[in-house]
Amino acid sequence: MRQRSRWWVIAVLAIGLAVVLAGPAAAQVKIRFQTWHWNEKPVFYALEEFMNEFNKNNPGIEVVRDDSRYNDKETVYIAQSQAKAAADIAHFQHRAIPLFAERGYIMDLTPFIEREGGQKFLAQWDQHALETCKYKGKIYCLNDYVNPLALLYNTQHFKEAGLDPNKPPTTPAELVDAAKKLTRAGRYGMGLIGSRQEGLFMRFNPFFWGAGAEYLTPDNKRSALDTPEALEGFRFYVELFTKHKVVPPGVIEQGAQEVRTQIAHEIVSMEVGVIQAPLIYAAINPNMKVDEVMAAAPIPSGKKRVSSVEYGMRVISAFTKHPEEAWKVYKAWVSKDVQLRNFKIYGVMSARLDVKSSPEIANNKFAKIFAAQAPYGKIEPLIPEWPKIGDATITAVQEGFSGVKTPEQALKDLHIATNRALGVQ
Amino acid sequence: MGSGRTWHDRHVGYLFVLPATLMLVAVLVFPAFITLKLSVTPEGGSGWNLTLIHYQKAFRDPVLFQTFKNTFAFVAWSMVGHFVLGLALALALNQALPGQTVFRLIALVPWTIPDVVAGIIFRWVLNPINGSLNPLIRMLFPGFPAEFQWLSSPTLAFPAVIFANVWRGYPLVMVMLLAGLMAIPRELYEAAAVDGAGKIKRFIHVTLPGLSMIILIALALDMVWEFRRFALVLTMTGGGPGTLTEVLSTLVYKTYFQFFTFEYASAMAILMSAVLFVLSLPYIILVGRER
Repeated sequence: MRQRSRWWVIAVLAIGLAVVLAGPAAAQVKIRFQTWHWNEKPVFYALEEFMNEFNKNNPGIEVVRDDSRYNDKETVYIAQSQAKAAADIAHFQHRAIPLFAERGYIMDLTPFIEREGGQKFLAQWDQHALETCKYKGKIYCLNDYVNPLALLYNTQHFKEAGLDPNKPPTTPAELVDAAKKLTRAGRYGMGLIGSRQEGLFMRFNPFFWGAGAEYLTPDNKRSALDTPEALEGFRFYVELFTKHKVVPPGVIEQGAQEVRTQIAHEIVSMEVGVIQAPLIYAAINPNMKVDEVMAAAPIPSGKKRVSSVEYGMRVISAFTKHPEEAWKVYKAWVSKDVQLRNFKIYGVMSARLDVKSSPEIANNKFAKIFAAQAPYGKIEPLIPEWPKIGDATITAVQEGFSGVKTPEQALKDLHIATNRALGVQ
Repeated sequence: MGSGRTWHDRHVGYLFVLPATLMLVAVLVFPAFITLKLSVTPEGGSGWNLTLIHYQKAFRDPVLFQTFKNTFAFVAWSMVGHFVLGLALALALNQALPGQTVFRLIALVPWTIPDVVAGIIFRWVLNPINGSLNPLIRMLFPGFPAEFQWLSSPTLAFPAVIFANVWRGYPLVMVMLLAGLMAIPRELYEAAAVDGAGKIKRFIHVTLPGLSMIILIALALDMVWEFRRFALVLTMTGGGPGTLTEVLSTLVYKTYFQFFTFEYASAMAILMSAVLFVLSLPYIILVGRER
């Protein structure tokens, strides 16, 4: 009896040992895929489909959901990176790349790219977009979307105001004129962003640059905000609210989503928006016949034709414990099939040339207009001081909107703050 | 007497406080040390090459100076609001009324709401297009502008944030004062009444002296709490319009996480802590004296 018990104990121990030893071989490497989009429909569907498909086809690697929020994505990533526990793959916009690269938070992808064919591999991407991934001779990302902005307008409102919906405004003066005609009781001609968020630059910059203004001198060493062009562009944006009164009250409280909500509920007739905005209007107000009612056009610019661009990209953490697996996931995300599917699901335009030139984009009512803006796309100076200058810009715009300062004084103070940020005495 | 105590008796107490001490070192002392070190590290630098350049910069920074002024005003007005509302409600809730417990619970509700949620609620309430305050005022005063702007107004944004903060924070002061009121012996009021003192005289000569220590402690604690207020301001205005509602905690956050200037933000945080320490000295002294 005792002999039999001893064999039982040995057998149980042997099985336990086998399980322990076999465990690591069967364990999956988890790759944390971080984005603020996990809670946003319809983007969520695209993410979920990618995750399920990848996990099914790649036993041994498991892509797992990791959440951030749009407004504090950098905060989350900084805190995680300082603890050397950042998500393996994280989602950002172009402004973050030089800052994270400088601090050593993100991985240089050059060795992986070389392995895939180097320049031939990179040639598949929009080269302007790719510049936003480079910093000090290294490449830290491959853009997954490029998002030039355009004017989105409600054709029904145009008709009601006696405007031709096939002739959207093409100059700032025409924009003001149309916005005034569109503004009536309970409805406003133009939606603007005035709250403290990145989206403000993308709406403000086309008018500012369109007037021929620049933030900095060509060498990025000093402020260039003391020019008549800068005042013209700055004043135009602010006076849409203060002088022409074609913007809803509370503009300082309005972010991108608030303006989209106002468009979706037909409180506002026009906005400068992103390519996926029509799908978002439809999600906010399913009763709005977005495809029939809304139309897109180039942003009315002044002396220069210009559009803002939002570049979206993923980065691999410098602290990932599984660089090879992370690269495999990364490569799958930026593949043609996934990028094209992303466009179909949530309307975002890929930075891959083969996707940008696909029939799906060429035949889409909105996408073809947005795609045509890409050559005119421009971004703010990619320098480490930009966050301070950008914040001072938002402060100046808010001061102009609220009447704390005249546009002249607000711009003058912005000029001083910009030089201070650059270390100019 | 003492010779009867063994080594074990004399030292076992240290063992009991060790886990809590280690926890405090991990979550308080270590981060404070890291912040202090970062504040004297050159930008982007590491190691022990230390500098005071960030402190020099801070003393010349007009934005920081303005933010200190905003913060003092925010704290002072919040404290006044908390005290007036807290005392009034504590006096009311100290009366023997039917449903007293229910009223006491209702009065505590704002304290249970997180800062972020309170900020978002007030942002919605004050929204000029969809908010509920403007229609409410128009019911009473039909001539009031339908789309009146509160948080976008340079004169009203700051008072609006303070109002929200007063609403959110008065229960702490109220609870402390209510506890103080309940501890004042009834006999004192009865004796004062026998001597012919009316309600106001009883309040001045019995209630206030009886509450004086509690009032000082409540205000000292409130000051420390309000000096660190962050999420309410961030969610309501983000510091705007411009920088009119910027307070120190939001500026430090912005400087660290948005400008990526970790070292300068750490210097700001250290200065903020130093000011906070000086301001909380009365509380520390009071508590020491009480013991």
